[in-house]
Amino acid sequence: MQQQLGYIYDRIETLSPMHSKKLKKNMAFFDDRYLELADTFFNKYTRILQAQNKTLDYSIDCYLQMIADVNSETIEFLRTGKYTSSTFDEVNKRVYARPETMEYYMHGLIMSQFLWRHHYQMFNYFITTLPQYVNVIKHYLEVGVGHGFYLSKVLEVLNPESSITAVDISETSIALAKSFINDSRIDFILKDIFEFDNHKKYDFITLGEVLEHVEDPLKLLLKLNALLSPDGVLFFTTPTNAPAIDHIYLFNNVDEIRLLIKAAGFQIESEMAILSEDVSPEKAEKYKVAVLYGAFIKKSNPTN
Amino acid sequence: MDKSEILRIVNGVFIDILDDENIVLTDETTANDVDEWDSLNHIQLVVAIERQFRIRFNSQEIQRWNNVGEMVNSISAKLN
Ligand SMILES: C[S@@+](CC[C@H](N)C(=O)[O-])C[C@H]1O[C@@H](n2cnc3c(N)ncnc32)[C@H](O)[C@@H]1O
Repeated sequence: MQQQLGYIYDRIETLSPMHSKKLKKNMAFFDDRYLELADTFFNKYTRILQAQNKTLDYSIDCYLQMIADVNSETIEFLRTGKYTSSTFDEVNKRVYARPETMEYYMHGLIMSQFLWRHHYQMFNYFITTLPQYVNVIKHYLEVGVGHGFYLSKVLEVLNPESSITAVDISETSIALAKSFINDSRIDFILKDIFEFDNHKKYDFITLGEVLEHVEDPLKLLLKLNALLSPDGVLFFTTPTNAPAIDHIYLFNNVDEIRLLIKAAGFQIESEMAILSEDVSPEKAEKYKVAVLYGAFIKKSNPTN
Repeated sequence: MDKSEILRIVNGVFIDILDDENIVLTDETTANDVDEWDSLNHIQLVVAIERQFRIRFNSQEIQRWNNVGEMVNSISAKLN
């Protein structure tokens, strides 16, 4: 196995043997493409860390801190059937507006793109499907750009003349995305998406794991519908049953997400649902294991 | 309830959640000794044990346990 990946697995095994068992189960799914992408990613990421006087150990600690958060949120979720926060104000104060928290969270999350099978598979689905749409993308928007990993790979696929806008509500996210991408083509905007409007229509919008962060996900999809050009495409991901420090809207199952898509005036072009743990469907249901859902959707009535 | 009784009940919860009749716990048992005891199952075990004994752990306790004996001590402290 590649050097950095091997190091990360070994260190996590020492620091958190139980979590390491989960990661090891994932390994069986990793093919040559994964190893190549992961290697490229970790090389780049390590260089960026070095430039900030940080090491991979720092990121592993961030990742395990994020896991500890998820574990305690999951215990609470199993006790009550609810996420611990229910308003945007709460999570804004608790997470987005708190650089110390946001910093370890985003480093943890970027690590998870390659440590979690469902995150890797969803990314792979996105990046292998996106080229289908590339020729019609003049204006590209990503909402909740976070660590910036998706956008960094999108840059390799988009036509060089496309305009690119990235919105996020957290200063820490924007700073991290900038350090990860560093491309003058991108217009980074620090804003709540509900307050964003630069009088432009976008041909493609990406919304990765943001829908569960808002009080009213229908309102968000309607907002993005209005920002899309008539034939524009939205790619979004969101999990069911996934407690986290900044999740407020609970989707109980994938059908609830599909209903929302329809209610917001969209139709599904293609979709993917991936279990977050390697368990049977029966056990997944019984234990309320998270499913990560992702879809490419278009306006069902493309006149506006 | 004495600790051996608590251990016996905890053993039953492990058998049920990990779906393995052959699990025999001792105070020294750790996650390294039980294959299926991973992070997902750990959370299910914690919640099932809470229900069984009608207690609540706090997050420090959950992170601190190094073996089954320490878990049993936590339970015992809450029951007595
Ligand atoms: C869980 S991260 C997802 C990051 C990345 N897109 C991914 O898929 O891994 C959610 C991001 O959305 C941002 N965010 C949450 N609510 C937002 C809002 N109302 N407007 C803009 N950004 C928001 C957060 O600051 C964070 O960077």
